[in-house]
Amino acid sequence: MLLAAYVGYVGLGAAVLRALERPVELQAAQHLLQERWELLANHTCPQPPALQRLVEGIIQAYKSGITLQGNTTSLGRWDYSRSFFFSISAITTIGYGNLSPSTAVGRIFCIVFALFGIPLNLVLLNETGQLMLLGVQHCAHHLEEVFHWQNKTFLMMKTCALVTGLFLSLLLPPLLFCDKEGWSCEEGFYYSFITLSTIGFGDHVIVMNPDHTCPSWYKNVISLWILFGMTWLALVIKLCINFLD
Amino acid sequence: QVLMEAWEKGVNPEGNSTNPSNWDFSNSFFFAGTVVTTIGYGNLSPSTVAGQIFCVFYALFGVPLNLAFLNQLGKGLNAHLLTLERWVQKPGRAQVQYQFMICFHYFKTMFPPLVFSYVEGWSYGEGFYFTFITLSTIGFGDYVVGTNPNKHYIPVYRSLTAIWIVFGLAWLALVFNVGANLMEKFLQLKWHKSDLSLAEGATTKLEDEPERPRIHIPS
Repeated sequence: MLLAAYVGYVGLGAAVLRALERPVELQAAQHLLQERWELLANHTCPQPPALQRLVEGIIQAYKSGITLQGNTTSLGRWDYSRSFFFSISAITTIGYGNLSPSTAVGRIFCIVFALFGIPLNLVLLNETGQLMLLGVQHCAHHLEEVFHWQNKTFLMMKTCALVTGLFLSLLLPPLLFCDKEGWSCEEGFYYSFITLSTIGFGDHVIVMNPDHTCPSWYKNVISLWILFGMTWLALVIKLCINFLD
Repeated sequence: QVLMEAWEKGVNPEGNSTNPSNWDFSNSFFFAGTVVTTIGYGNLSPSTVAGQIFCVFYALFGVPLNLAFLNQLGKGLNAHLLTLERWVQKPGRAQVQYQFMICFHYFKTMFPPLVFSYVEGWSYGEGFYFTFITLSTIGFGDYVVGTNPNKHYIPVYRSLTAIWIVFGLAWLALVFNVGANLMEKFLQLKWHKSDLSLAEGATTKLEDEPERPRIHIPS
């Protein structure tokens, strides 16, 4: 039920942001195209001030997520699936930043959305973490009954679970990214860690390349990976904190 | 194309000369801070493979260190609040303390954006947006302090900002803790949790949420 609320909340955010940002994006893209054509049409050899303006214009547009490739602009930054992904990146506090609201209303909405979304996310992570621990405990008890091992089972199970988590969250996904995103394997590993720790630089982001068409299961798998990976990493960090104390 | 690549590497094509290096000591210090606090703006990020690998291991130890530090800081702030409360128990002071708390919180949220918008040339709304996005550690990176090549910043500007970020993080973590607690109560999970805690038995309980250690505020 919590999961449903969470997904619903993220979906709501995505829809609102898309409605707010898309018209502005279209406008900005058209403006940029227009400027570019004007510049090229008027000057075969652009003067420094005009060039400077164009540079600034391109940077401005790039900051707001529009890239100029060839003759057209890449639109569709704020389509539904990317807005959804953006909402997730906001409430998990990853915050890639390759996409961010540029309208004032969008920003205010983003702030309010995050103000409620972040605690919601923390609660969800907490619950998932507890479920995971419970699962590990059940396995440990089960093993104890079956094999009649003594006290060490729980510790062993915990280490086993940790290693499995490591494998699933940090070692396996980079291979997937290598294949789908065309990154090198170190970059995949780097991206996985930076995402799961919620640092989220945004220099590498998945599903943002407009040339790629990805299978529909890809995005769902990614979302699941983010959720469980973050829970696992949070548990690991909590262990480290307990160790430091 | 060239512009976009340059921008991604963190080199700002605006302006005539190359800026003071992006990776000089104070900027690197700031970057390390954004890694450890998990803000992660992203306007600057390691592009060499060695740098990226180092970043991963650095964060692996830095993030728990940061959380432990914030935990201590939160406890310290809490203790401070407690002594304040006790001081206020004496009759006639309740009013003063209440006003003081309101003032303090108001000041804490409203003042920094003013400073930023003045120094950076942003509007107040943009300053507030930056403040929130930074303190919640979302850190989009569309606004970052101290990156405008046309402005001259006093050397301690970024260090002061870093100090403000640390205290602001502890404070906002408190706020989010309270929010998460309320949300749990609202979703009636505490009731559910009591069933789970019976089932857990003698093993360690995961009392606090995994990401941020819960700082219990005595009501």
